[in-house]
Amino acid sequence: MSKNTTPPEGYDVQREQMLDFKVPEQLVKVLDEDGRSDAKNFILTTVDEVFNWARLSSIWPVTFGLACCAIEMMATSATRYDIDRFGAGAFRATPRQADLMIVSGTVTAKMATRLKLIYDQMPEPKWVIAMGSCAIGGGPYFKYGYHVVKGVDFMVPVDVYVPGCPPRPEVLLEGLMRLQDKIRGREGKLVKPKWISDYAKKIPYRK
Amino acid sequence: MDQKEIYELLAEKLGPAALGFNDEGVEAYADVEPGSIAAACTFLRDDERLQFNQLMCLSGIDWDGYDENGKGKSVKILGYTDEGQPETSDHVSEGDFGVAYSLYSHSRRHKFTLRVRTPRATASVPTVSGVWTTAAWHEREAWDLLGIRFTGHRDLRRILLEEHWVGHPLRKDYQMPGTWDNVPLHGQPYCENPFPPIEVTPDQPAGDDPAEG
Repeated sequence: MSKNTTPPEGYDVQREQMLDFKVPEQLVKVLDEDGRSDAKNFILTTVDEVFNWARLSSIWPVTFGLACCAIEMMATSATRYDIDRFGAGAFRATPRQADLMIVSGTVTAKMATRLKLIYDQMPEPKWVIAMGSCAIGGGPYFKYGYHVVKGVDFMVPVDVYVPGCPPRPEVLLEGLMRLQDKIRGREGKLVKPKWISDYAKKIPYRK
Repeated sequence: MDQKEIYELLAEKLGPAALGFNDEGVEAYADVEPGSIAAACTFLRDDERLQFNQLMCLSGIDWDGYDENGKGKSVKILGYTDEGQPETSDHVSEGDFGVAYSLYSHSRRHKFTLRVRTPRATASVPTVSGVWTTAAWHEREAWDLLGIRFTGHRDLRRILLEEHWVGHPLRKDYQMPGTWDNVPLHGQPYCENPFPPIEVTPDQPAGDDPAEG
């Protein structure tokens, strides 16, 4: 990160400086005297950093589809959108091999206890994406849903909320990337590229 | 065969148990006594001229707010408030329960609809699962959601909800549960948007995440 730009709000400057750790001069000198080619040809990092990099690069979701959102989840994992590009394509048929639970659909009272069981069976560390309006807050079943849990965060802790009814595959991929940010140790900060906002101003219904 | 003719055949068979015929609405229907519904269905299935070999649907009806002639006004059902808590009401439900049987004949290609009415207090109708086997699951559903008891049914359990669920949710006087079996079913109140619109300043670098450089 260059020093000229001011960091965005919520950005952990101290942590970034820690990562800009300089190689001690003595170490460089020793290696130079040994006649090695380049003393700087190694990486210094933290164990957490490596572990988190490994975790975010292969998030295995559990095969868990509840409703119509599951159809979009299937589309996301298929060839056109290809969630495997992000290392999250291996949908495991058992929660014991999974890191991520994509709650894709309406959580009924009957399913909620099962959902909790599946979540408890997943090994740590584990993450949850609430996909779609129903999983976020009951959605269309908020008013008269006598059997619907109004938000899966009543049952399990949720990391990323993906809105939509159902969300398009791109949105789920966006949610996955925000989860990767979160695992990396940076809270996902959604900043629109400028061309999107410029484009949005040209759309007639946006004043 | 015309639906009026079907009813005349049925009335001839049932006698006073056939209560009336109405073809003014979208779908013509005949009202029969609940006690003779199994006999009526057996006749409609087995008669050579009718051959109703399929029960397309069996529907339970809650006539809360309506009298026997179908006159009245719809009752407001209870839901959850905007704060997510169950609504309450002093309204005492009246009015009968009903069951409608939609029949179809594949060989004769005609339809017919039967209707029975049962008082709210007893809410009991003889089963037709001996006539059409598919009625067994339909009746279980009507029992589950409306609490209509089908006498003579061999396995009248709940079909959709858990077996120890309390109440019958599609009744007009059903009050929404706050929790069930330690599962919270109430909602969260609406809150302000936690993600306010993003201001994009001109010096903001283009790209998904400025932290990425």
